Amino acid sequence: MIRLSVTARIALLSILLALVSNLVLVAFVWKVVRDDAIDELRRDTIEQSDALIAVYRSGGLPALGRTIREARTPGDVSRIVAVIARDGRLIAGVGPELDGFARWPNLGFRILAIGSPWSDREVGYAVRQIGPYRLVSGRVLDDWDAEQRGIERALAAAMLLSLALGVGGGLVVTRYVGRRLDRVADVIEGVAAGDLSRRVVNAASGDAFDRLAVRLNAMLDKTERLMSELRIVTDGLAHDLRSPLARLRAKAEAAVLQADPAQREAAMGGLLIETDLVMRMLSTMIEITRAESVPRDRLTRIDPATLVEEIADLYAPVVEDEGMRFDAIVAPALPSITLHRELMTQAIANLIDNALRHAAQGGEIVLRLRLRDHQAWFQVEDHGPGIAEADRAEALRRFGRLDRARSLPGAGLGMALVEAVARLHDGRVELHDNAPGLIAAIVVPISR
Amino acid sequence: MLPVTRKILIVEDDSSTAAYLAKGLAETGYAVETCADGRDGLFLASEGIFDLIIADRMLPGLNGLAMLGAIRAAGVSTPTLVLSALGTVDDRIDGLNAGADDYLVKPFSFAELTARIDAIFRRVDRNAAEGQPTRLSVGDLEIDLLARTVARQGKSISLGAREFNLLEYLARHAGQVVTRTMMLEKIWNYHFDPGSNVVDVHIGRLRRKLEEGFTAPILHTVRGAGYRLSVEP
Repeated sequence: MIRLSVTARIALLSILLALVSNLVLVAFVWKVVRDDAIDELRRDTIEQSDALIAVYRSGGLPALGRTIREARTPGDVSRIVAVIARDGRLIAGVGPELDGFARWPNLGFRILAIGSPWSDREVGYAVRQIGPYRLVSGRVLDDWDAEQRGIERALAAAMLLSLALGVGGGLVVTRYVGRRLDRVADVIEGVAAGDLSRRVVNAASGDAFDRLAVRLNAMLDKTERLMSELRIVTDGLAHDLRSPLARLRAKAEAAVLQADPAQREAAMGGLLIETDLVMRMLSTMIEITRAESVPRDRLTRIDPATLVEEIADLYAPVVEDEGMRFDAIVAPALPSITLHRELMTQAIANLIDNALRHAAQGGEIVLRLRLRDHQAWFQVEDHGPGIAEADRAEALRRFGRLDRARSLPGAGLGMALVEAVARLHDGRVELHDNAPGLIAAIVVPISR
Repeated sequence: MLPVTRKILIVEDDSSTAAYLAKGLAETGYAVETCADGRDGLFLASEGIFDLIIADRMLPGLNGLAMLGAIRAAGVSTPTLVLSALGTVDDRIDGLNAGADDYLVKPFSFAELTARIDAIFRRVDRNAAEGQPTRLSVGDLEIDLLARTVARQGKSISLGAREFNLLEYLARHAGQVVTRTMMLEKIWNYHFDPGSNVVDVHIGRLRRKLEEGFTAPILHTVRGAGYRLSVEP
């Protein structure tokens, strides 16, 4: 099957529509003209047969025969007059198509097609009773024929006209559709070329094109938002990687220029530390991207209290060495939860690291595990400066990238990992006020 | 230093890494053989003549973990250390579950590798020895594994449960370098890198308890590698 282009299909459709509407109009005209012609013929025929009946009554059959013969004016071939006996015999008659009446017709007025079924010749006739005979009088619809040919010409003209209108209309419609689609295509092309701020201008008329424009604009909004978030993350990453790499370079340079072997060795040790830092950032990045697609069978049912106590065991001395108190508070009788032990531990460890970093003089860090609304809250509470309520949503959205001038690298990555781990557990990260300080919580549903 | 020269099989398709490993391990005193293909590795390992297999994961022919599975299925229990660029927590756990004795992520420090190799051989030797020891002693330090008590020069030292585990691990590898990640893996069973100095803090506490009031240091820091429990400096 040949697939026509949309333009060709629209053109064909408009041609068809013009044709149909013209045909309907022509058919209506045809019907009206024909009805008029038949009405006229009926009146004519009945008048004529009335006159002939009067002749019969006054002069009998011979007078009628005479009148019939005289009635036929030379050149007039359309008139039909016949007197038919009961046995079908033609008593007297003139007219081109008398064969059709060579039988005993019923009384009344009729239209009869003569010749083949599709003949354009029709006869209108009235049948009356005169004595023992039937009088058939009528006329061939010659006037109507002429009208019909006129209408046929009109029909041909209408077809030509509708073709022209269809082609013209089709061109106009396709030009219009094409122009509106081109506008959409232009925007898409612009976006593909990198200008994500382009949007389809919306006429707000609510038609299909506008709906397309609205959807497309919504999609572009989302794409632009995702792209900008990605840019923030990659920018932050580049920023985070830049400082350790810069330090690495500086230390390498210093080590190369160091003449004293002992000091050179010390400088080399520093190089290793910086290298490890970069490596660690890269592995955290990989963990983050992998956490987005960790298979479910990696998660096992774990007692969350044990998980928290193990973290506390590892981190309590670290916090205390920073001159702060550390307290782990676990709600009693907790059900086991399906968790990724290591990733969850790493995420909570990152929250503790953050608290250490931001609340160094805060006095105390509390690691708390509590149950609320069938959710386990793994929360790290500090008494540092906290985050203003207005900034919390932004802080979450940008994964802790609030601290633009942070001195320690990798903080943003750490929070991104927390976010990814929360998502892996169908959970979320929440920030609350600790009055004073910050509560950072990983909230995980229990029954899954 | 070593009574018998230990034989190590390196299955690694990257020739520069293989050469670096072979050179370094040979200098350490091991006999080294290398091959670059998982099938060859399986063939060589099946002979059972090696003391250790160091295998990459992404190998041509047969991947490292499949090769390891086949070696174990053939009844060869040669200790195996997987050395791979696949470094996420789940990758490591997969490797250990596949039968690897240890898992080290590339890029690695050579000190970390040798520390882990030493630890594997120490464990193999210990298992070969008759029975499990109930006491460990390092110089003047005495550790009673049953009573879970520690004494130095006869003076009792009280340790927390985790500190005791840490000391036991260090004592079992006395004289050897034990790295921070090894301790995180063995003592705390974590396979991620916590980033901060968590292990150093724990070691610091343990060291204070072991050395305060005594003249000779016993828990040494090996720069760029880890820690070593030993009377020798």
